[in-house]
Amino acid sequence: MSIDGEPGDADDTAAPVDAVALALAGHPIPVATFGDFRTAARDLIVRRVPPESVQWSGSETPHGDLLSAATSGLAPSLPPGLLAQPPAPPPRIPRSLMEMLQSAACYRAPDRWAFLYKIVWRWQQGQQEILSMADEDGARLQHMVKAVRHEEHDMHAYLRFRERPPEAGDPRFVAWFEPAHDVLPQVAQHFARRMGKTSWMIGTPEATVLWDGHTLHSTGPLMRSAADVEDSGEALWLTYYRSIFNPARLNADIMHGHIRTRFWKNLPEAAVVPHMVSQAAAGARKVGQLDTVGKRGGTTIPIAAEKAAPERQQPSSLDDCRRCDLWQNATQAVAGQGARHAKIMLLGEQPGDQEDLAGKPFVGPAGALLDKAMIDAGMDRRKVYITNAVKHFKWEPRGKRRLHKTPAQKEVMACHYWLETELETIAPDIVVALGSTALKSILQSGSVTMKDYMGQPFQHDGRWVVVTYHPSYALRVPSAEARHEAVAAIVAALKLAQRLADGEQP
Amino acid sequence: MELIDKLEILADAAKYDASCASSGAPKRSSEGKDGIGATNGMGICHSYTPDGRCVSLLKILLTNFCIYDCQYCVNRRTSNVPRARFTVEEVVKLTVDFYLRNYIDGLFLSSGIIQSADYTMEQLVAIARELREVHQFRGYIHLKTIPDADPALIDAAGRYADRLSVNIELPTQDSVQRLAPEKNVHTIKLAMGNIRLKLDEKEAEPKAPKFAPAGQSTQMIVGADASDDQRILTTAETLYGSYKLKRVYYSAFSPIPQSPKSVPLAPPPMLREHRLYQADFLLRGYGFQVNELLPQSGNLALDIDPKLAWALANREHFPMDLNRAEPAMITRIPGIGLRNAKRIVELRRMRQVRYADLARLKCSMKKIAPFIVTADYRPPRDTTPSEALRRSMADVQQQMPLWPELQAA
Repeated sequence: MSIDGEPGDADDTAAPVDAVALALAGHPIPVATFGDFRTAARDLIVRRVPPESVQWSGSETPHGDLLSAATSGLAPSLPPGLLAQPPAPPPRIPRSLMEMLQSAACYRAPDRWAFLYKIVWRWQQGQQEILSMADEDGARLQHMVKAVRHEEHDMHAYLRFRERPPEAGDPRFVAWFEPAHDVLPQVAQHFARRMGKTSWMIGTPEATVLWDGHTLHSTGPLMRSAADVEDSGEALWLTYYRSIFNPARLNADIMHGHIRTRFWKNLPEAAVVPHMVSQAAAGARKVGQLDTVGKRGGTTIPIAAEKAAPERQQPSSLDDCRRCDLWQNATQAVAGQGARHAKIMLLGEQPGDQEDLAGKPFVGPAGALLDKAMIDAGMDRRKVYITNAVKHFKWEPRGKRRLHKTPAQKEVMACHYWLETELETIAPDIVVALGSTALKSILQSGSVTMKDYMGQPFQHDGRWVVVTYHPSYALRVPSAEARHEAVAAIVAALKLAQRLADGEQP
Repeated sequence: MELIDKLEILADAAKYDASCASSGAPKRSSEGKDGIGATNGMGICHSYTPDGRCVSLLKILLTNFCIYDCQYCVNRRTSNVPRARFTVEEVVKLTVDFYLRNYIDGLFLSSGIIQSADYTMEQLVAIARELREVHQFRGYIHLKTIPDADPALIDAAGRYADRLSVNIELPTQDSVQRLAPEKNVHTIKLAMGNIRLKLDEKEAEPKAPKFAPAGQSTQMIVGADASDDQRILTTAETLYGSYKLKRVYYSAFSPIPQSPKSVPLAPPPMLREHRLYQADFLLRGYGFQVNELLPQSGNLALDIDPKLAWALANREHFPMDLNRAEPAMITRIPGIGLRNAKRIVELRRMRQVRYADLARLKCSMKKIAPFIVTADYRPPRDTTPSEALRRSMADVQQQMPLWPELQAA
C-alpha cells in the first residue's frame, strides 16, 4: 500500500496544508485526523525533511503546546541544501505497518504525530527493525498499538447500555464510557453491527455518537456523566452476576487483573462486588451455592433409580470386550458386516479413524479403494462379508490427529476369539486376507510373511485362503507405478476368490 | 415464580460448567438487518466475577429438575435444592435483553434431564430455533448436548448452535459408572463421534447446511474421583485426537450442599486445575505429548509450571542457542511463548539476537536465563543441577508441612 492519499480521500477533507512550507518556516503542522497526517508525511518524505526539523500540532493541542511555544521563535535546523535535492520517491508502506500507524494515531500522547513521522522516516531509510519489539521506537509503536487495541476491546466489553422507556422515543439505548484513547469511531462501528436496527447513543467526555438504526452521527460531547436513565432490566443482570459467582472459588485478584480500576465506577455490577466478596470470604464458604439459593426450600425428585436410567440398546458382548486394552482409546468395537452366509469373507486389519466413528468396517479411504476393486473384480459387496482381524482401532496421537498403529500380535491373538465366532456363523468357503495382520490372524502365527503366500491360494481349516495387499498399502506406496500394481494385485485376488467361490479350482 | 427468582436458581445451578468461551463462530453482522447480534470470531468477556471467571455468555440451565443422580452434581435427583424451570420464551427474552444491554455475547444453555433425553434435547433445540429464526439472533449460541438423544436432534442442534458440547464428566469409565450411574461413557463417545462425523461431512461439502461452526468441546471434573493428572491428560489427548474437540475444560470439583459420601468433602487445590489448563495448552499449541509432560503416572507439579518442569527434566536440550535453534524448539524454552518465539525468529533474520532484546520482548528473564544462549550471553550456571534451579524458580516458596500426617487427615 502506498502512503499517497488519493485526492479526495474521505478522511482528507481538511483544507490542503503545505507541510513542507510550514516546516521550512518553523511552524507546527496542524493535524486533526490520520488522513491529514498521511498527506503531510508523504510531502515531507518526498522533500526529504528529517523528523527533527518538523513540529506537529495535534487536535487536542491546536495552537502551541509547551514544546512548540518554546521553539516557535527558533528556525528549525533544516539540513542545508535540502530543497536543492531531487524529490525522493513517495514512501511505500506495507499494509501491516500502515494499520499499525493508524491504530497508534488513536493513542493520546502529545507527540503522537512527531513519533509516527519518525517511524515513517526510519522505514524510508530502510530501517526495517522498527517492526521489531527489540527496537526502541518499534517497542513504543507496538506499545501504542497494543494500548489502543486494548482500549477498544475494553470498550466493547465493559460499555453498558441502559434501556430508555419506549415512550421516550429514540435512542432506545444509552451508554456512557470514558475511554483513555480516541477509539470511539471504531467502537461505534462495532455496536452498529451488533445492535441491528435498534437505535442507541454512546457518550464520552470528548464526543458522542448516535446510531438511528441506519446511520452513525457524531458530534461533540452531549452528556457529562453516566446515563441518567432508570433501567429496571438491570436488576436481572445483577441477579445473574451474583448467581453465576461460585463463592467456593473466591479469587478476586484475577477479577481485578482483568477489569482495570477506572472502569469500575461505570459498571453496574461493581456495586455488588464488595458484598459478594465479604460474604464469601467471611463465611469461609465450603460450597459453591449462593447463600440466598441455599436458604430456599428444596425438592428432591421422587423417581426410582431404575426408571431414571435411559433406555439404551444393550451393548453387544463385543462392545464389552476387555480382552486387551485397545477399547480404552477407541470409540466402539467394529463388528463385521455383510451377508449372513457369504461364501467369501474379506478380512482386513483393524478399523481406522472413520470406521471407529461410524462403527462399520471399510468406510474410509481404504474402504473406497476396496469398493472400487470389488467393482473391477465383478464382486457384489452385498454378497460378501467384510470384517477385520482386530475390532478396536489402535492409534497414537499426532497433534490433534490419530495415527494408525499396527496391532501387536498379542492384540491380534486376543481378538481372534471374535474372528472365530464370525468364521463359525458365516462359514465362508474363502477368506481373502488383506494384508499381513489378517494373514497372521488366520494362521495364528506372528512369524508368517506375506510374500510366502502372495498369489497362491492355500487350504487352511477346510477353507481357501487368498492373500493380497491391504487397500491402505495401495494408498500409501509413494510411486504411481507401485500403486497400480498393488491395486491390480488386489483385484486379481478378488477375482480369484470369486472363481473359487464359483467352484473352480485355482 | 418470578423470572428473577428462576434466574437466580438456574444461573446458580449452571455455574459449575467451566466453559464460557464465545470464540470461533463465523463472522456475522446485523448492520442494516432485522434482528440483532454479531460475531467477529474472537469472542469477548463482558465481565468477571470475584471467583476470577469471566462472563461472556448467559450461562443458565433450562431447568434444574433432573432424573439423573450424578453424585458430583448439585442438581442430582436426590439433592434437596430449590427447583425451577424456564419456559422457552423466558430464555429467549433474557438472552435478547441481556444482549442489547451489552452484558453478554450470547447464550450457553444446558439442562437437567427431564422426562427423557430426547424430550430435554428437543426443548434446548426449540430455544435455539426460536432465537435464530424468529428473533434473527446472530450472537453466539452454545448448546450442551444430551448424549443419549436421537442423532436427528443433535443434527438440528448443530444447525442453530455455534458450538455443541458433550461432557465426558470424569476421566475413566469406572468413575463414570460409579459417580454418574445413569450416564455411560460408550454413549458419550458415540455422541462425540457422531458430532465429529457431521463436522467432517460439512468440511468436505462446504455448501451443505451449516453445522456447529465453532466445533465441539467437553468438560471433565477434576478431583471428584481418584484419577491423577496423567490419566486426565491422557483422556484429554484421546478426546482431542478422536473427536477433534476445540477445547477440553477442566473443572475442579466444587463441594456441593449436602454432599453425598461418594465424593470428597474438600475441593482439590485450585492450582491443580490451573496446571492442567497450562498442560492442555502445551498439548494443543506447542506439540507436546502427555508422555513428555508426565512420563509416569502422577500429578503435575504445583510449584512450577509444566513447561519449566519439562525443561528441568530434559536439561540435555539446554542451554539453547536462540540464533540457531529450530523454531519449534524455541517454543519449548520456559518463559517463551508462541508469539515471542515467532518474534525471535523474525528478529534473527535481520540480525543476531542479543540478551537485551529478550527483555524488550518482555520475556520473563528470571525464567529463561538458565536455558538460553544469545550472541552476547551464556548462562553462568548452566551446569547447576535441575533440583537447585527448581528451588530458585518455584512460584511459591512453600513451607514444609510441620505435621504432614495431621494435614492429610
